[in-house]
Amino acid sequence: MKSPWRKKTLTLCVSAALAQMTAGAARADSAVGVDTMLGNALNPYSLRTIPARDPEVLDAVQHQRTPSTKLIGWPVVVPTTTTTDSGWTYFGALELGGMWASGERAWYNLYKDLPTAGLYLNNFYFKARDMQPGKGYFVEGLGGALGYRDQYSGINVGRYNDWKVKLFYNEIPHTFTTNYRSLWDGVGSDYLTLKTLTPGGTLVQNPNGTPNQAASTDATRTNLLNAINAGEGGRDLELVRRKGGISLDKYLSNTWRFYGNYTQEKREGARPFGAVFGGGGGGGNIEIPESIDYDTHNILGALRYDDGLNNLNLQAQVSLFRNNIDTMTFENPIYALTNTVLTSPTGTAATAVTPGSMFTTGRYDLYPDNDYYNLRAEYGRSLPEWFRSRLTATISLSKMKQDDDLIAPTTNDMSGMFINGVSAYNNWNTTSALSKQSADAEIDTQLFDIGLTSRPLDKLDVNGKIRYYATDNKTDYQACNPLTGQWGRLINDGSGGAFVIPNATAGNNPLGTLPTAYDTTGCNLDAARALGLVPSAGNTNLTNIPYQYSKTNYELGGIYRLARGQSINGRIEREEYHRDYRERDETWENMVKVGYVNQAMDIGTLRASVEYGRRRGDSYDTDPYKQFYSISLGPEPTANLTNIASWIHNIGSFRKFDLADRDRLALDVRLDLITLHDLDLGISGQYRDMDYPDSDFGRNDHQKLGSATLDLNWQPSPKLGLYGYYTYQQSTMNQAGIQPNGCIIGNYYYFYSDGFVGTGTVPAAPARAGATVVNTVVVASNNWESQCGDNSATSPLWPDGRIWKTDTRDTNHAFGLGGRYDFGFARLELDYTYVKGISSIDYDYNSAALTAVPTAITAATWQLAGNGMPDMDYNQQALNFNLVVPLSKSVALRAIYRYEQGQMDDWHYAGVTDNPVPSVNTVTAGVPAAVANAVYLDGGTQDYHNNMIGLMVQVSF
Amino acid sequence: MSIHPSFSQVTMRLSILASILVIAGLVVACVPTDTVKNHASAGVETQIDLTNQDSTYIGEKACLECHKNAGDHASMGVHVSAFRSNPQNARQREVCESCHGPGSKHAQETTNRSLIIGYTKGWGTPVPKQNAVCLTCHQGGQRINWARSPHDVNEVACSDCHNPMMQNSATGNLLRVSINETCYTCHPQQRAEFLKRSHMPLPEGKMSCNDCHNPHGSPTRPLLKTDTVNETCYECHAEKRGPFLWEHAPVRENCVNCHQAHGSNHDKLLVAPRPMLCQQCHDAGVGHPGNFYNNSQTAESALQVGGVQSQRVIGRACQNCHTQIHGSNHPSGARFQR
Repeated sequence: MKSPWRKKTLTLCVSAALAQMTAGAARADSAVGVDTMLGNALNPYSLRTIPARDPEVLDAVQHQRTPSTKLIGWPVVVPTTTTTDSGWTYFGALELGGMWASGERAWYNLYKDLPTAGLYLNNFYFKARDMQPGKGYFVEGLGGALGYRDQYSGINVGRYNDWKVKLFYNEIPHTFTTNYRSLWDGVGSDYLTLKTLTPGGTLVQNPNGTPNQAASTDATRTNLLNAINAGEGGRDLELVRRKGGISLDKYLSNTWRFYGNYTQEKREGARPFGAVFGGGGGGGNIEIPESIDYDTHNILGALRYDDGLNNLNLQAQVSLFRNNIDTMTFENPIYALTNTVLTSPTGTAATAVTPGSMFTTGRYDLYPDNDYYNLRAEYGRSLPEWFRSRLTATISLSKMKQDDDLIAPTTNDMSGMFINGVSAYNNWNTTSALSKQSADAEIDTQLFDIGLTSRPLDKLDVNGKIRYYATDNKTDYQACNPLTGQWGRLINDGSGGAFVIPNATAGNNPLGTLPTAYDTTGCNLDAARALGLVPSAGNTNLTNIPYQYSKTNYELGGIYRLARGQSINGRIEREEYHRDYRERDETWENMVKVGYVNQAMDIGTLRASVEYGRRRGDSYDTDPYKQFYSISLGPEPTANLTNIASWIHNIGSFRKFDLADRDRLALDVRLDLITLHDLDLGISGQYRDMDYPDSDFGRNDHQKLGSATLDLNWQPSPKLGLYGYYTYQQSTMNQAGIQPNGCIIGNYYYFYSDGFVGTGTVPAAPARAGATVVNTVVVASNNWESQCGDNSATSPLWPDGRIWKTDTRDTNHAFGLGGRYDFGFARLELDYTYVKGISSIDYDYNSAALTAVPTAITAATWQLAGNGMPDMDYNQQALNFNLVVPLSKSVALRAIYRYEQGQMDDWHYAGVTDNPVPSVNTVTAGVPAAVANAVYLDGGTQDYHNNMIGLMVQVSF
Repeated sequence: MSIHPSFSQVTMRLSILASILVIAGLVVACVPTDTVKNHASAGVETQIDLTNQDSTYIGEKACLECHKNAGDHASMGVHVSAFRSNPQNARQREVCESCHGPGSKHAQETTNRSLIIGYTKGWGTPVPKQNAVCLTCHQGGQRINWARSPHDVNEVACSDCHNPMMQNSATGNLLRVSINETCYTCHPQQRAEFLKRSHMPLPEGKMSCNDCHNPHGSPTRPLLKTDTVNETCYECHAEKRGPFLWEHAPVRENCVNCHQAHGSNHDKLLVAPRPMLCQQCHDAGVGHPGNFYNNSQTAESALQVGGVQSQRVIGRACQNCHTQIHGSNHPSGARFQR
């Protein structure tokens, strides 16, 4: 796809190329920053020029190998250079021609912008040097695809062993979807305007003038479908990264060196996003596009010292992220179903219906501007006289902060609406409704790392290391409106609420307790708690949670050289985490690793290792967040008919996988074989087994990953070279959960023989067709924690009958084959890649336990559910054909043919194109009932076939 | 909120100890030592004549008498270019022998492999000795943590990845045509991952392994260039750095809790499909996180009798509503919905 200025750029051709280049080839420093690669899909190695090979190789000995047995291969012929009168030598080349492509774009466009037709500068490079003694000046550059969104260019200027300036410019397109059916104008801006639809949907009123929600959503749904079907069809949602930078590398003396760089990146575009209304997702949701307009500035300065014994790196880095779209407002096309907000101070949700059509817009507070500062010092000291030792130490201190102005919870003035009896009018459309005006969020981090390695014996190296890393979260925020004193949040632009008031169930609080009792404490949390009132729910957020952690690693290892070229290595390590406000305060993992290296074999090199890790921790608290939620406001409820479920955060035996007990086994093997003098065979395998022995729910059982690869590399002559590889990977992951039931104090729960759990207020269970009552449990104020806190066969909240389990299995094949052949009159390079991935999810569940009243419809539902999701599978193949025909010493023709094909099935997007406003279908096949209120506009990845041909002229100088 | 109350006494002491050692190191670094590099003669300065202590330098011309083609290739590279045009010290003036060691005895007895340092498997110079030669010039800087790094422990030679004699790659004097292709020679499973449905843009030439990893050593186990996984990710995804009013604990701690670093069969490099991935942590007593989601809830199933669409299954699944899953700065964003 062309950018608007492509023609101009191409007209200027090389001169424009030189003018545009703002950076050299990738930075040579492997220790800092990104931007180490300049290239694109047609030049994945920065330059792909199909060069000739030198039959003389480097030396008399052919087929040399690296110490790890890899064939070094045939070098590219040394370029012909020209020397000027002033002593400069130079050489270079460019490749320009025409490209044509046919076929769909789709997935094909991911990270690349291949031409569809027209003139195309595929790549260029040049190098000029003044190699006279005492000079050593050089200038070199490369680039490609100028004018396209995957263009890249760079230039280095400097003097060997003295200074170097690098500049670069690089663009990366990222296509998220080519199948998005936008309903808005202004995609990419801070305001999305509906093209044809009415903001807020279509209001249908009852004869008495009150809103008819069902009719309104139905009418809105019809209008949405019409608009989607009459719309522009699928379009791209994508962003482009445009980044440039400059760096300076300067030797200040024999021992000191300065390095500094500045980069700026612009990201513009849009990606699929979502919006929800009401509360808990029940008010409707719609896929909207998120507008992206980011600037990121990075500045880095470093001093490096090396005197042969002492090494010191001092580095300061600043990264400034700026979002030019701080807030994004979108016009809302759906008729939102509301909760909590009512049109009467005393009404109920049934009698004081809020018209959804008044929620005409929604507003996002997108990623805030943020600043990052890092100071880093690394020191290394060689101690040759002391057991040939080396000491290394690192201190790194960072600060991440942002102080973005906060926005009001809604732009709606909420006229005529009430929240728990309190007028909402003009109380939530102002930042005065917030406990603070700006975020003032900050996390500081610190890293201390010190290690020592010594060689007390010729055959033995020993080493040890201690590493400490910690984060310090200084962010605080409380969700209370100073204007009303209400604790909680107005959510989803005012269409819903998550507030806490004194519990209204009789018996929990003193008679006469007002719903506004908490409000009177003026957003003083201690004062609110001091009231001692039972809250209405336990799971309303009162404040943010400043997660933070520290991590300490202790490591002791060594290498023992068995014989020349053979060694064993080992390491024991302990990793300790301390986390604040997580389910476990402490976890620790003890690890042991043993490896073996054999480079002495004439036939090849073997490396193998096995590692075992055992992670454990202190007691697991399923609800460590109490102080941040309304559960902390007062005592637990005791009154009958109180729904206690929100006081129970999670299943007692649920384990979050990042904190759970874990036994980990890792096996790695790599064998490089000299099969023939000119043929390498590589065999590698990895196996990972992570067992979660204490996890009944969440990720559980064994998570396994296996990977095996066969590599071939045959380099018989400068004319011929072939390679091939095949990788097979398979991974499995298991998890389990329970669909929660209920837990109401005073209620009886009836456990039936088919797994279903009913509830009622009398001991006698109602009859259930085809099942008998096998147990009855009553929840009381003194037993609800034990009854409902964990799963069991007779848990009202987590009954075993409602357990579901999934088994996820990913299988992958990756195959590659290619090579080169020099006919003398032409050089051919051919590459083919084929990948296939299959992801299957099987599940187990008890459909009877999840069915309140079996009907023909519910039977059809479970038949659709089946035993698993449809396989998600994809395959992709790419063929690259390149033929270069030299016409003279400086001119050659290059023919390019590229074929790509991709196919993907993903159940997430199954049926979306045909059914963008799906619903609950209880009526007739193909005629959904208008109950749900959900709109999906991204049809997912499209299959594609694409052919591209090109004819280029290579001119070298 | 301070982290200090949560520090154990042990880790505090270790932090102080590490600080003292590093500060001491800084002081030591600033004090001139006898071994500071200078322009002394090569014989005194060079510490690379590890195999033939009594051999002497014979000069580049003598080397090229037998190795002219190698010299032609090497002269296009940074090492020889710098040594010839602007040597920093006496050793560099020796050009070929700067890396291969003094060649007088080698010239007399060319087949004796103990008399010159070679960088191929066939020559047989032990890898630690090869690497020691490179580190005489390249110690410190980006290689300050080479010792004890995984590549060092596994006796990977500098010449397994680099070849200053050949111009295979645009940068870095690499064994293969690019950083990525060089890494794949030992890490082919990563190549397969980068070819998966969702992946980092390495096959498209827009990223290299080196963007995240420092193969020459790092204070982190996976050889990351920054302090943590997250700080590495923030290098390109700075918007997710925040911090935010409302944080998501596993997101703040480690991006790879939810994402594969290299590639995945699932959208957005996720480790598992949504909503199942989210359900590996969330099964609340109230609401939908613990519900059983299944094939009856897709948009396709909703066209059939019994189909029940679910916004937790279709499209972006949980993120249809919890869009700001990396953290929210909206006052109402505790559940990441705005």
